[in-house]
Amino acid sequence: MPVDQQTRQPVRPGRRPTARQRAEAGRAAEAAARARAAQRRRTVTGATVAATLLAVAVLVVVVVQSQRVSSSPDAAVPAHTTADGAVVEVGSADASATLDVYEDFGCPACGAFEARHAGTLAELAADGDVLLRYHPISILDRAFTDDYPTRAMNAAGVVVDAAGPEAYVRFTQELFARQPAEGGPGLTDDELVGLAREAGAAGPAVERGIRELVFEDWTRELTDRASREGVAGTPTVLLDGEPLDWATLDPAALADAVRAV
Amino acid sequence: MGSARAGDIPAVAPWAATAGRLLLGGVLVVAGAIKIPDPAAAVRAVRAYQLLPEPIVGPVAFGLPVVEIAVGLALLAGLFVRAAAMASAALLIVFMVGVASAWARGLQIDCGCFGGGGQVAAADTAYGTELLRDLGLLVVAVLLARWPTSRLALGSASRPSTFPDGDPPPASLALEKTHAR
Repeated sequence: MPVDQQTRQPVRPGRRPTARQRAEAGRAAEAAARARAAQRRRTVTGATVAATLLAVAVLVVVVVQSQRVSSSPDAAVPAHTTADGAVVEVGSADASATLDVYEDFGCPACGAFEARHAGTLAELAADGDVLLRYHPISILDRAFTDDYPTRAMNAAGVVVDAAGPEAYVRFTQELFARQPAEGGPGLTDDELVGLAREAGAAGPAVERGIRELVFEDWTRELTDRASREGVAGTPTVLLDGEPLDWATLDPAALADAVRAV
Repeated sequence: MGSARAGDIPAVAPWAATAGRLLLGGVLVVAGAIKIPDPAAAVRAVRAYQLLPEPIVGPVAFGLPVVEIAVGLALLAGLFVRAAAMASAALLIVFMVGVASAWARGLQIDCGCFGGGGQVAAADTAYGTELLRDLGLLVVAVLLARWPTSRLALGSASRPSTFPDGDPPPASLALEKTHAR
């Protein structure tokens, strides 16, 4: 059998490849396989490193963010609130009905609720027909350029601390009456101090409390507590624990609903 | 390079994959980054779905943005494109299940997809729009997972071809690889 010694001769169709050609092809295949294996090793190494980095990043961020949202256990709580500091109560504790109101001072719908029903609720409370339980929260800081909801809620805390629940209602009614539009700044600290004075809370301690956000941790704690209670939006109005569809009720119907309890 | 035989329309396929990478990666990075500054709001947004037990609400609210950013950066850079595209698809499916479930249960919440979240007035819910947007992104993610080779990619496995000598392949070969199988 004539073994082909002319290695340069190209393989012609119909002829078997020579031994050397087969060997070369084998070496090329081996080299390609080695290259693929090296590529695969690099990819596996890279993927392992990337996955480890991602896991570490997730862990670090979860720990850091958990610390950012945890409020200190000895956070200052305003006086004249319920024992847990969560509620400002107005009216008689003996009233047959309780109305829980969760509000953000930057929330337009809360302003609409107050404009529509505040007068009726004040009368009902004065008549001993209802215990009003105000739960301020601040979830709309993003909607303002100066964290107005937190600043307003802190100021409301300063007012109830210094002058009690009736002053709190007077102050917050003024806040809703002058509610700034979302997307811009809220009332200034000077304006908050002025409204607090008109509501009955004056003095250097009040001014310092408003400007220095002494109840900031309290605003965080109450906002988170309301969220855990299932309140994710404002206003949430509960009549004896059941959601009240205040938007469809006129003030007389709301009064009837409260008295019917 | 580029043989006329390959035609012009198939030649845009790797560029289309690049566009898909930038779109999907950009959306994910933005959606993740916007949730980092206000962790308390992120917790409230996750909690508003009323799907997860309280102990894991926090870790999900804090960890999810990191995963979104990481997957988004991988897509933008062109690293591990197929894995990142599959991860994006998984994330989007989870998001769509969450939104659809909130819709079906009659919850009145904002999806919190780009920060914010929580309860809104009934008239302000946008479940249909949110689902359509996620569906569109899901299509991009699935196409990218199927054909991950693209231009302007850092990862060698994500570029149109890899030749041992590093020479760029003829366009026709790259296309064959792109559309292989």
